[in-house]
Amino acid sequence: MNAILGRYVNHDTFIHRMDPRNKFFCLIALMVAVFISYPTYEMTFIVGGAVATLIIALLLIAKVRILDVFKSLRVLWFFILLLMIINVFAPPTNAINIAFTIGKVNVYWEAIFQSLKIILRLVLMIMLTTLLTATTKPLDLTYALEWYMAPLKVIRFPVHEVAMTISIALRFIPTLLDETDRIMKAQSSRGVDFKHGKISSRLKAIVSLIIPLFISSFQRSEELADSMEARGYDPKAKRTRYRVLKFSLADLIGFILCSGVMAATIVISSFKWTYTTPHFVPWWILSLILVFLYMLLTALITAVVRRHRK
Amino acid sequence: MPIRFNDVFYTYQANSPFKSEALKGVSLDIKDGSFTCIVGHTGSGKSTLVQQLNGLLIPTSGSVEVNNFTVQKKHKSLKHLHSLRKEVGIVFQFARYQLFEETIEQDVAFGPMNFGAKKEEALEIAHECLKTVGIDESLFKRSPFEVSGGQRRRVAIAGILGLKPKILVLDEPTAGLDPKGAAEILKLFKELNDKGTTIILVTHDINIVYEYANDVIVMNEGKVELHCSPEELFKEDVEKYSLETPLIQQTVKMCLEKGLNISPAKIRNVHDLAVEIARVKK
Repeated sequence: MNAILGRYVNHDTFIHRMDPRNKFFCLIALMVAVFISYPTYEMTFIVGGAVATLIIALLLIAKVRILDVFKSLRVLWFFILLLMIINVFAPPTNAINIAFTIGKVNVYWEAIFQSLKIILRLVLMIMLTTLLTATTKPLDLTYALEWYMAPLKVIRFPVHEVAMTISIALRFIPTLLDETDRIMKAQSSRGVDFKHGKISSRLKAIVSLIIPLFISSFQRSEELADSMEARGYDPKAKRTRYRVLKFSLADLIGFILCSGVMAATIVISSFKWTYTTPHFVPWWILSLILVFLYMLLTALITAVVRRHRK
Repeated sequence: MPIRFNDVFYTYQANSPFKSEALKGVSLDIKDGSFTCIVGHTGSGKSTLVQQLNGLLIPTSGSVEVNNFTVQKKHKSLKHLHSLRKEVGIVFQFARYQLFEETIEQDVAFGPMNFGAKKEEALEIAHECLKTVGIDESLFKRSPFEVSGGQRRRVAIAGILGLKPKILVLDEPTAGLDPKGAAEILKLFKELNDKGTTIILVTHDINIVYEYANDVIVMNEGKVELHCSPEELFKEDVEKYSLETPLIQQTVKMCLEKGLNISPAKIRNVHDLAVEIARVKK
């Protein structure tokens, strides 16, 4: 498992120090910015590019390696390819501009842009969630969740219990993965082949993995329950926290920035803005210039924030 | 040479932010029919080392030779690993990681059946192995989850013995067992060793090393710090390798301090010590 997807990476950056509750809000604000739709494709890519610039800069500031994020996108390649094919053969109803033809099938610019738009959104969404999970400890995330669910206490929803269950489940994911690995090793030593062989023997192989996994999970949960009870755990009790969540200056900046971006995208999306490519410059040169500008902007933001930190 | 490590490096989760180097250039030879103990701190690479022996882990660089097999990065053919695993049996610390069948005899028969034995044949091997580890016939049809922890450990060991390995690797086999159970299990390994099986035992208990081993490997931070016979190891103060002095050695030392004129050579266990004291007192 080399994927960084969903794992916490310990660093001490501006983003790591932010309040998890605020990070949750910022995630949702930026999600709105990513998913809002614009009247024209030009606008989609210009504004989308700006949002992407911001997100990439944030990833760089949080010291998440962009290459790792792309590596974890590997699983999506197939999906992206499928999306492309479907979009090309079933073009949107407003398709007029033909890009090229394969045999008798017309491929429309609109179809290509449509799939590029979806891919952009998908990649940005994954980048955003990676940014959140890579910079926030799972436990802090559940605190944030508990905080947001607090109003539900009025209708007697067991907020604390749910948050506790989620945090325990998150806590045990790596443990279970380790355990699976260990059981696979123990069974491989007895000659079990998990990758090859007939279906019947592979089924048996999986049974030999699942049963010990279940048994040790049950045992573990019993032990955990006992140890919690031994330390006097009571879900109804009023509790304090070792780490008190605080709203800092960094949070204020993040809050203003993200809500600003969200507001800006909402305003832009309501504009009726038409733009036609000048005939003397091919569209791809314009796109290249735009991409270059965005890259420059990313580097600039990252450099400024990093220098400021020092 | 039956087991040879050639400059083995192993890195967990290489090429990721979570990578950790467990073995940093291990080279060693283990002779056929030896009783080798591997000692060292938690995290010194003991378990990683033994998992290279049957290809559960493949060295990041370097190679491991076991009898006629070579485990190395380019040789990833699974057929070859499958037959290697019949040759080298590894018993892990917790029996709960491998028991899953409805009855004890079926569980032990599972291993031989993976290597092509027929059901009746496998059950026969299972009965034989269960007797070897001292499981009573009345328990054969019971579930492996109903019996005590010590018995479960024995069943797990029988499950590996069923493969008839030439090399038996045990990771902390006595951890969590009562002293009597631990002594019985160690006696079993000694018997197997006398019949020609190479035993490789990973342990924290220096007393086991003192009493049973004829070859010791001290691991530290992913490297072999010392590889020698126990006589050589215990000749000097073992505390400089942050190991404890074995109880028997401490007792012998105290006896000498109290003026009992025993000769410390060849005293490996309580029985030897008693005989020696009796000889002096006569």
